[in-house]
Amino acid sequence: MPRSKSRKNRPKAHDGASVLIPKVTPKRFYGQGIPGIDSDSLTGKLIVVEGADGSGRSTQIARLVQWLEATGHHTIQVGLKRSTLVSEELEQAQQGNILSRTTLSLFYATDFADQLENTILPALRAGSMVIADRYIYTLMVRGLVRGVDETWIRNLYGIALAPDAVFYLEVRPDLLVQRVFAKNQSLDYWESGMDLGLSRDMFDSFLRYQALMRDTFRRLQQTYGFDIIDAERTPDEINQELQRRIEAVLCGQD
Amino acid sequence: MKQTFAELGYPGRLIAVEGLDGSGKSTQIYLLKRWLEMQGLKVFFSEWNSSALVKSATSKGKKQNLLTPTTFSLIHATDFADRYERQLVPLLKAGYLVLCDRYIFTAYARDVVRGCPPEWVRGVYNFAALPDLTFFFKAGLEVSLSRILDNRPTLKHHEAGMDLNLSPDPYESFRIFQGRIFEQYLAMSTEFGFVVMDANQRIEEQQGIVRRLVDSHVHLDQFRLAKAA
Repeated sequence: MPRSKSRKNRPKAHDGASVLIPKVTPKRFYGQGIPGIDSDSLTGKLIVVEGADGSGRSTQIARLVQWLEATGHHTIQVGLKRSTLVSEELEQAQQGNILSRTTLSLFYATDFADQLENTILPALRAGSMVIADRYIYTLMVRGLVRGVDETWIRNLYGIALAPDAVFYLEVRPDLLVQRVFAKNQSLDYWESGMDLGLSRDMFDSFLRYQALMRDTFRRLQQTYGFDIIDAERTPDEINQELQRRIEAVLCGQD
Repeated sequence: MKQTFAELGYPGRLIAVEGLDGSGKSTQIYLLKRWLEMQGLKVFFSEWNSSALVKSATSKGKKQNLLTPTTFSLIHATDFADRYERQLVPLLKAGYLVLCDRYIFTAYARDVVRGCPPEWVRGVYNFAALPDLTFFFKAGLEVSLSRILDNRPTLKHHEAGMDLNLSPDPYESFRIFQGRIFEQYLAMSTEFGFVVMDANQRIEEQQGIVRRLVDSHVHLDQFRLAKAA
């Protein structure tokens, strides 16, 4: 099998037989990490897509997986509330709306840790690409807008591996609400932040909650340095930008 | 530095018991509870690992051995947080005497023995205030072990610390695991000002000491149930 000689010669998706070998770059945990895990053994890439419902996250992820597989990279997908351990219980608890904020944060952290240890880390050790449909940042932002202590939640997620790339798909709230309606005809209780008591009116609450989330994401961006992607453009334009940035990651560039 | 509920200005008081399985702590807190109740005081009792909500996830995780040290720690922290936010704090605000069979120190000891970094575990539980009084029931390790092991019980996987691969024999694993937890308790004893109880004494002797100490630390008269007008 011929290998690509340089990036310039790299064939575009679907037509090439040569496959780019991703450059292994050092990984680190945000804090103490997971007991007994050597981050040097993780040769795959962890790519995170963050963004509100309606920001085009799922569409972009589906396309990225398609593209990565077409270019010869084994790809694994993870996301929130998908753990074997607590996903059902978490769903139930959310339906009942009975959990306090610390409990809910810890429950989500359990779900995250279960996927981190049983899916993400083994896949990275095997050299796969891991695409995460949201990661610790959404969980942190949700906690923060509900008044959870920032030092506390940072320590909690000290177990997390720092991804190779994080893309935050940003859409302004008034456009987001239009996109949600185009798809669902109704607003979700949690995505409208109704538990915060910002407004009794769901539409109004949605706009205020999403603005709060965006501001908090931007604030976290300054610490965690993720890429803010203008997601008000067409899906094609967004996907091209994501592919370009991911290619740089595969070549070992920051 | 963490503060106690009294220091934080809560009208209620929290009393916790800690110790190994088989140290007799549950017997002692039960007798304390009966004594307080019979005086007509506002008492609430809470056990470790008992939140209904998290229970199904915890038992599934334990049965299927899905838990790692990190998820074991987090799922117990979730359970504790649920009880803390929905029961303990509201009751302490309402001026109750809250009795806890195990508190955050159980997690500090167990999770660290399982390999979680101590600073991380303490950070996770940072939302919880310290008890106003903590009794540590210190029996000789052999005494605690024989109280549990003499009946040759079927030890559960995590109870025996089998997840740590200390020994293929559950009884031997249990001994080593409990020994390590015991060391953690001893190390925390001075740091957190535990009242160290000689758990080799007779039940009545211990209960006498517990009641006298509670009586001298807490103004029990303030915890009378309001009489109906």
